[in-house]
Amino acid sequence: MLEFRNVSFSFPGRRGAVEVLRDISFTAREDEIVAVIGPSGCGKSTLLSLAVALRQPTAGQVLVDGEAVKGTDRRLGMLFQQTTLLPWRSVVENVELGLEIRGEPKKERRKRALALMKQYGLAGFERKYPHALSGGMQKRAALAQTLAVEPRVLLLDEPFAALDAQTRVAIENDVVKICRAGRRTMVLVTHDIAEAISMADRVLVLSRRPAAVKEIYEIPLSRRAASVADVPGMPEFTQFFKRIWDALDISITGLDAAA
Amino acid sequence: MPWSHRLFVIVGRLAVLAVILVGTEFGVRYGVMSELFFSSPSQIFAALLTQWSSGTFLRDSGITIFETLLGLVMGSLAGMSIGLILPQLRLVANVFEPFLMVLNGIPVIVIAPLFILWLGLGILSKIGISIYIVFFAMFIPVYTASLRLDTTFVDALRVMGASRRQIFWKVIVPSALPSVYTGLKIGSGLALIGAVIGEFVASRSGLGHMILYASGTLDTPTLYLGIITLAVFAAVLSFAIDALGPLLIRWRFSDEK
Repeated sequence: MLEFRNVSFSFPGRRGAVEVLRDISFTAREDEIVAVIGPSGCGKSTLLSLAVALRQPTAGQVLVDGEAVKGTDRRLGMLFQQTTLLPWRSVVENVELGLEIRGEPKKERRKRALALMKQYGLAGFERKYPHALSGGMQKRAALAQTLAVEPRVLLLDEPFAALDAQTRVAIENDVVKICRAGRRTMVLVTHDIAEAISMADRVLVLSRRPAAVKEIYEIPLSRRAASVADVPGMPEFTQFFKRIWDALDISITGLDAAA
Repeated sequence: MPWSHRLFVIVGRLAVLAVILVGTEFGVRYGVMSELFFSSPSQIFAALLTQWSSGTFLRDSGITIFETLLGLVMGSLAGMSIGLILPQLRLVANVFEPFLMVLNGIPVIVIAPLFILWLGLGILSKIGISIYIVFFAMFIPVYTASLRLDTTFVDALRVMGASRRQIFWKVIVPSALPSVYTGLKIGSGLALIGAVIGEFVASRSGLGHMILYASGTLDTPTLYLGIITLAVFAAVLSFAIDALGPLLIRWRFSDEK
């Protein structure tokens, strides 16, 4: 369980403090996927960096299972948008990185990393360097790297943005399956409405900066669907899409406006 | 490259070499080329035999090679360590940066007399000059690379609970290795230049001394002997550094894309 309790964040700018997040409160429960969506540049990613203590909230606190997060917390794992596979390490050495940092003996961590790679369809690529892998496989390896330490809460910072459409749906589906199987808590930051509806149980819409929680939608589709790929075909999908789109309040100033 | 092209290149190279050797040999022998400006291969070989039998060739070469290698190793180690550590101490780095940049800008030839003054006419001053220029060849790329480190890697390791020490050894050091390789490539050439410049400014031995002495006594074959020896040594050193690449940055040499 991950709770944001009255979290605010601002940083000193040239003309006074720049307020990024204003009094954000929500809870992602065990075995729940929450998607956070908001206008670009609103501070969605900042929210996650506060949870993993890369930044400190100006006010409020982040709690995991009721306990306040102080510094790096082993119960949290994060999947980044950019690759976190170190180019000088083979794929298996990358997968076992988190275990290595925790001081796990070499033999055991290797065993676990190999088992995990097999499970994620990466068998045969253990000794390769990351650049030899396709974008989708790199993401799978990064996921294995994040999950090797078995975090209870998984934070995803727009991790699929750079993938092609087919690969993307396949990995989204894997992530949902893995998360549900382990009854993990997951918070997904994304700018993609369809992705949010397809994966999440709840979608949280943030307002423009300073970002506050604008709306929360319960989305029952992901849990009902056999696969993430099926969600956009469900009859309720369009309604949810329209409601979230309206809540985002994106002004489209295209050719019509110019004319 | 198909084998026929490869064969052409090899035969072509041997032909160029043969033209130079045979051309100078007969050119000098029959007076087409002045003996003052050019030496035939046989004259250079004779000079080698003379220098060899008196023991000066081995001593001079050995001294220059020793100065170069020591300068390269110590200068590289110093440049690499400081280039890696300084970016971790931002304030200290800000204090020292302008001084280092100014020092780097001074041409080594004008620094050389200072090293002779401090460390004497012997090999110490030459090693010092060599270390000095190799240091910057290594320091600049490593320092720049460490400053422009990919912060996603650092963030990812911090989230995994890594200590500063772990981040240094698992991210900062390996990400600087390509720059260390660059530094070694540039530094290996400069190490030799540093040693020879030192010998040119003031010395009693070394290949630089041999060349300068031969030039002063109009001993053209020995002058060429010195130049050729330095060229061979530089080539061997460059090949040796190239061979280090796959050991130092293996992932860049794994050919699968």
